[in-house]
Amino acid sequence: MESLVRLSFYCFAAATIAFVASAACYLAYAIGRVRLRRRTMATSVGTTMVAHEASLEPAAVGVGRFATLLAWFGVVFQATSILLRTVAAGRLPLSNMYEFSTTFVLLAGVVYLLFERWYGVRQLGAIVLPLIVAMCAYIWVLPAELREVNALIPALQNRPLMTVHVSMAILAYATFAVAFAAAVLFLIANRWHVAWLPSPDLLDDLGYRAVTIGFPAMSLVLILGSVWAYRAWGTYWQWDPKETAALFTWLIYGVYLHTRSLRGWRGSRSAVILLVAFGAVVFTYFGNYVFGGLHAYGGV
Amino acid sequence: MVVDRIWRFFCSVRAAIAEITILAILVLAGTLRGSSVPQAIADIFPVTTPIINRWYAWDVFRSLPFAAILTLLAVAIAVCTINRAPGIWQAIAHPSVTTTHGFLRNAEISVLFVASMPADALAKQLESAMRGNRYRTLSEERNGEIHLYADRSRFSRLATFPFHLALIMILAGGIVGAAWGFRENEFYIPEGSVRELGHGTGLDVRLNDFSEVYREDGTALAYRSDVTLMRNGEPIQSGSMTVNNPLTVGDIVFYQSGFGQAVALRVEDSAGQVLFDDALPLGPFQSKLNPDAPAARMDFLPAGVALSVIAPDENPANAPELDTLHLRPGEMFFMIRPLGANSPITQPIGATVRQGESVQLGDLSLSFVRERRFSVLQVARNPGIPLFIAASVLLVGGLAITFYFPHRRVRGIVSTTQDGSVARLAPIARRDWSAKRVFEQLASDVGRRSGIDPELHVNEPASPTTGSGQRSAPSP
Repeated sequence: MESLVRLSFYCFAAATIAFVASAACYLAYAIGRVRLRRRTMATSVGTTMVAHEASLEPAAVGVGRFATLLAWFGVVFQATSILLRTVAAGRLPLSNMYEFSTTFVLLAGVVYLLFERWYGVRQLGAIVLPLIVAMCAYIWVLPAELREVNALIPALQNRPLMTVHVSMAILAYATFAVAFAAAVLFLIANRWHVAWLPSPDLLDDLGYRAVTIGFPAMSLVLILGSVWAYRAWGTYWQWDPKETAALFTWLIYGVYLHTRSLRGWRGSRSAVILLVAFGAVVFTYFGNYVFGGLHAYGGV
Repeated sequence: MVVDRIWRFFCSVRAAIAEITILAILVLAGTLRGSSVPQAIADIFPVTTPIINRWYAWDVFRSLPFAAILTLLAVAIAVCTINRAPGIWQAIAHPSVTTTHGFLRNAEISVLFVASMPADALAKQLESAMRGNRYRTLSEERNGEIHLYADRSRFSRLATFPFHLALIMILAGGIVGAAWGFRENEFYIPEGSVRELGHGTGLDVRLNDFSEVYREDGTALAYRSDVTLMRNGEPIQSGSMTVNNPLTVGDIVFYQSGFGQAVALRVEDSAGQVLFDDALPLGPFQSKLNPDAPAARMDFLPAGVALSVIAPDENPANAPELDTLHLRPGEMFFMIRPLGANSPITQPIGATVRQGESVQLGDLSLSFVRERRFSVLQVARNPGIPLFIAASVLLVGGLAITFYFPHRRVRGIVSTTQDGSVARLAPIARRDWSAKRVFEQLASDVGRRSGIDPELHVNEPASPTTGSGQRSAPSP
């Protein structure tokens, strides 16, 4: 079992490398390339004047394709890592922050690549992949003992509910990360009208579609969490900080969805709400560091 | 007039957004209250300490503002639902078929079908092709032109109702559970003891056995209570429970919550009368003699003393300087203190006792019968659970239908021309990228089915910041 766990970590290391390289390529693709031109002009008094001109141009399509390829490599390595750990533990790796975050990295990669395929928007990777890289960095700095596979504590010994409840949370966070990236790009595209960025309408729609996956998933997180709490603790809602943080996130996305039906709110204002909502996601994700309560075992 | 204004307020999406935002802020305040964040703020900015202390003292989720905003939202949902229902039903059952050339011309995307056949034949062909794409089609002749309306997934517009109804049902479930149910958070019961459940159930609980399995690091891997439920002294049901596997007896559910050390104790007064002969859970009480050790306190009011029982330290390596007793395994420290004005003793008297031995403290004879364990159960009856389950199904189902089966609508006009007829179709999809892609696919498929090449026209949409925000991708 130990060798499987070690191999799983090596696969995660390989995935990290692939994601870092992919993020760099996506950034290069989204920012474009700086083209420098040098012009020499003769003046009427017989001297020569040299002018330098810099301009931003779209990056080569190949850079984007290479970024996607590297992201797929990362996903495959990470899927292998998760698979090996699943075999070693006899369950999906979802029980502590190390396991949760490694699975999040996988799902964020998969969700992003699916959206890239559906919408044909590679520039989104310039936001999502750095987020994935940041999560990889976070996993690397987590205490090494969390990489060990341990038996589940009694409160977590409900495999079906733990699998679905936690997986839904990861799916929700992953899709919200894509929605966040779409909102950031929307605001950039809307503010500066960068020619090679996707149209704001497309980004607005992409963000909304991501939320239409994440919001039901988040609803299921709350519902299944309640069902589990009822089975384990005898009450389906305890006002536990982690529960209420998830409720807070859900409410903010609820606000976002309502603003889309308001005249003048769809677009920039909705995008700003998506940014705030993703802040709530980050707060809920890392809340275990500051929360007490019933979810304290999931800390680190 | 006033009623109208109130009605409009409750129906307003802007008001709903404000209400949800206020609720979210309160939830955030309550969440942070359960964290170390306010304390960190107070540490950095000591001037905020009084506010932070008030924040920690404010039970947000049981406060009046929280209850008020929940009530307001529930009323708004109900009123809004009643208000929207006729309009939505009208759009489903009797949509307006006619449109204008202006709408079609200015649509962000439209498609032109030019044919050499008469207008009615072209309209029929287009309708047939759209029905092949699971669109309902309606047509109406006006001023020599045929107006077309087609839509798909029209009943999905109703899904907003179960979603919003679910939110009210969840609140109702909470109220029903609180009003007609009960909840015992800490039901302590030592091994071999019988405890009355109370809450009008008429039930007694006997803990027959408690067992636990530990990991190498000393933490509990699993623990189980075997209990017998009794009514009027007669057993009615036996069963076991572990964390995540509660025991259900009728509509009452027993949950395994925790466990700890207990001591079987017999206390007699100087006349030989038995004052206590049961097991006493150790743990809820903290003694100054060793704060880390499991301990318990029991008052004997007629005898005028309070008894403290302190067990050996479970982890002697942890803060050994606090342990003033240095008890060994198998020992207990008993101490009585004066209780009340007529206490027969004036100062505390204590003694260390080994298992199976007795000791005389003041007028009391105390016997340490044996060590035992106790189990902590949670017991609940919640008649709101069926409401919660039904609400969950409605909530997720409503969301799924709203998001994944959006109502797609197309309008068009078929006109007669010199060479035959021309049809222009456009979706109701302002600034809805997905709806426009769906329409493109529809146009292409209609062209393929009807054998007429579609001519797509795309108008650049207005700037997103100035757009009208017409709703085509419905929110829940």
